[in-house]
Order: sequence, then structure tokens, then C-alpha cells
Amino acid sequence: MTITSKPLAIIVLVVLFGGIAFSSVMGWWITESTKQPVTFTEGEFAGQANPADIRGSYTFGDIAKSFDVTPEVLAKAFGITTGEPNVFAVKELEAMNLDSGYEIGTVSVRLFVAYYTGLPFDTTGQEIHLPQSATDILLAKGNLTPEQIAYLEKYTVPLGASAPVAKSTPVAVTTSSTVSGENIVKGKTTFGELLAWGVSQEIIESIIGAPLPDSAMTMKDYASANGLNFETLKPALQAEVDKAKP
Amino acid sequence: MVTLFGKRIRLFRPHSIWIRKIVQWFFFLLIALIAVNHTLVQSGAGISFLSSASLHAVCPFGGVETLYTFAASGLLVKKIHDSSLVLAGVVLLLSIFFGPVFCGWVCPLGTVQEWVGKLGKRVFKRRYNHFVPSQLDNVLRYARYGILIWVLYITATSGTLIFESYDPYFALFNFWSTEVAWGALAILGATLLLSVFVERPWCKYACPYGAVLGITNLFRVFSIKRSETTCKLDGACSIMCPMNIPVDSVKVVRDHQCISCLECTSEAICPVAKTVVFTSGGVK
Repeated sequence: MTITSKPLAIIVLVVLFGGIAFSSVMGWWITESTKQPVTFTEGEFAGQANPADIRGSYTFGDIAKSFDVTPEVLAKAFGITTGEPNVFAVKELEAMNLDSGYEIGTVSVRLFVAYYTGLPFDTTGQEIHLPQSATDILLAKGNLTPEQIAYLEKYTVPLGASAPVAKSTPVAVTTSSTVSGENIVKGKTTFGELLAWGVSQEIIESIIGAPLPDSAMTMKDYASANGLNFETLKPALQAEVDKAKP
Repeated sequence: MVTLFGKRIRLFRPHSIWIRKIVQWFFFLLIALIAVNHTLVQSGAGISFLSSASLHAVCPFGGVETLYTFAASGLLVKKIHDSSLVLAGVVLLLSIFFGPVFCGWVCPLGTVQEWVGKLGKRVFKRRYNHFVPSQLDNVLRYARYGILIWVLYITATSGTLIFESYDPYFALFNFWSTEVAWGALAILGATLLLSVFVERPWCKYACPYGAVLGITNLFRVFSIKRSETTCKLDGACSIMCPMNIPVDSVKVVRDHQCISCLECTSEAICPVAKTVVFTSGGVK
């Protein structure tokens, strides 16, 4: 059997759109997240929504449907003062806070929701930052464990600050002081900038545990490409940058 | 058609599969509109009758990327939706019968590369698409399998769409968005630039989805076949092939890079009727 272009075109269209139509009928054609996080399957919290599964595409309203936290509380925690809190998408946070030098994004919302609702959340090996306003709300609620308070003391940052606080001098959870810096390692910092700031190639390679990549590559892209968490690399790199300051 | 020296020759041949161009335009506009609508919906606007799905939701490669996670845990990699699995299944079905028609007829990134390639054809004439030394070219064509393995491995181990940061297709339809990584934009730029010299450079050397679909060329039901008895051996089919497959030297095209565009067939460039055909049967 020989096929020419016109029948082939028809076959391509029919099979593609027929497949989509069939899957729609079968209920398989799902193009959006259900906006419902997976639930804990075992233990004390079995059946409850897991904050670790909150996605960037969720709005504060979506989160409120699965967790006992209102969009207004979330908006206040993350400094959202304009627009309707209900429709604010979590993924917008990261872009909003780019200038702060910290990655305040989806993972911050997960941490906040977990601490606010008392649900389990594993922070092992993670440096998740929360804005001061979020920490204030959590402390005011008064249901945190000493370990959680200690974690917040370490990673609370002043939201909207022009420069981050040096890691060695974390912000006290009840203050809002800022410390300024010049060369700050951010997600968009390139390896070339690190070299220009006086950090030697050998030191960079020892921190990342690999040969120096392209100097134009950003920290965030490198971490993503190698399955690393940028937040785990940043402190060591920042320390070397600080050491190299004239 | 006229008969010359006992062979039927088409005096006015179309030179190109025009309906393929229409299908390519259709899918390019469809995906572009969906991508724009997705952005509009997020900002509270949007076109009601058009899908507002994310680009990931309408990309079949997402279905491949999430396969391991889906098999291991029943969950999908973040940002991937069930629709990607559906599309991956449908495209695989098409490919088993007709080869990578998705690449040649549907994929908007392939389409854009072809459009840019027209400029290269005008500038370089016959030199176009023949710049890469054949020995190097032969090796580079397997690079996409390496990329495929890397993408599958890193997606499986990280549970996230790492490839998004390098994906020129995602950059093409999201360049206005803050979600696009500079790496993806740079690769898109490089792809478009290289398209001036090489036809479909991303498809040939780097596309991990093309690598998956290319495997179906080895066993697909309908193949490009050349009749040795009527072939004039003028090499037109090989010259026309965007993927540089030497069609005039084989009886059945089983090359892993064929994209089923039909541009080499008697319906397009081959001047002899029923000599290079797309068929499930045999040819004389």
C-alpha cells in the first residue's frame, strides 16, 4: 500500500486530534494540575495534604483549599500587597524577590505552610529562606518547636532588602536589620563573575567538586544541570567571595 | 506526464510537499496561540475558546521524560501532565506506522528551522546543508542519543524538568516569560543561527525526542522505498533530503534520521513516477 502526502496529512491530523478526543472521553486528557497536593500515606498525618507537594503553579487560593491557611495570611507573610491574594501564583514570588539575593519562592511557601499548619516537612540539608513577615506570623501563632524556631532564626531574611544578610550573621527573628554587601553570590551570578571577584579556579572547583564550567554559566543553571541545590553551594562560594574582598 | 525513453516523466513537478507546509503552519500557529493564551490566562485575560494549557502539557516529549517516574511511583514529574503521556502514546503510534512524521510535519521547532534554512538556501545555494564534513557529521548524528540518555537520567534522579533550562522549543514559545533560562535562549539562538548553514541542526544533532522517534525508522510499517528498475540515479532525492540521507543508494530508507517529509519522493523532487514512494509494500 502506497501513501501520498495528502492522505498522510489527513492521517496525521486525524490520529493526533482523534487521540486527544478519545483520551478526553476516557478522562485521560488532563492539561492542568489538579492543584491538589498529594497526601501523606502513612503515620499520624495520613490522608492530609503534603505541603512538600505545593507547586509553583498553585495560587494562594489553591493552597487555601488544601491547607488550613487563608490567602490573606499567605499574602501578608510574603509581602503581597497588591492585587487579589486568592489568585496570586506561588511561582511569581521568586521573580519578585530576585533582587533580595535570596531564593524566596515555592519552597519557602512549602515551609511556611508546613510550619503554620503543623504538618511535617523535611528541611534536612536545605537552606530555605523566609521573609521576616512570614516568620513573625509563625512566631505569633505559637505552635513551633524549638528546632523550628532555631531554623527560622538561621534563615529568616528581610524581605525586599537590597542586599542579603551575611550567612554568619543571621537576622534575629524579632529584628529586621540589614547588612549590606557588594559582591553577592546569587542564582544569576556567573562563574566568570566569581573569578573576577578574586575567587580562584581551584577553590571554585573544590566547592563544586567538578571542573570549572563555562564562565558564562550561572550558578543556578549549573546547579540545575547537575542536580544540585544552589542553596547548598552558595554559602561556601559567598564565604570565598567575602575572603577575596580587597 | 510524458513518456521519454520508456520512462514516465513529470514535466511540471511540485518540487515540494505543499500540504506538509500547511500542516506545519497549522501546528506552529496552534502551539504559538496556546502558549500566548497560557500567559494571558495567568494575567487574568485569555481567549475563551482556545486551550490555555502550558507548553509542557502539549509536548509529547514530556511523556517520555516522565516515564521512569511514572513507572516507579505512579506520579508525574512536576510540570508534566497526563496529556503529555497521551501525546507521547499517539505520536509513538504514528511513528510505528509512518516513522517520525511528528518531526517532519508537526514539530514547530523543526518548522522554524526550515524557515530559517530558506535563507541559507538562497545564500549558499547547493553548498547549503553540506558544510559539515561527512566523517564529523556521521559521528555528531549520534550525539542526540547521548543527550536523550542524559535527559532521562537527570530527570529520573532529580524528579524535575532539568531539560527545560536548555530546551530551545520551550524558549521559542516562552521567550517573553521569566520562566525561560538563559541557557535555553542561547541554545535557541545557536540553533537558529546554525539553521542558516545546516538544515534542521537541532533535529540532526541534539533533539532527544527525535532520537526516540528516529528508532522507529528501523521497523516502521510505511517506508520510503526506491525502485531500482526505474531510478535514473540522478541523485535528486539525496540532494533534496533535509537530513542528508543518501536515498539514491538504498532500496529502503531505514536511516534513523529520516523524518518522513516525503520531499525525496516521486510526488516531489524525483522526476520519475512511482520510483521513490512511501509504501508498506515492495517496489520493483
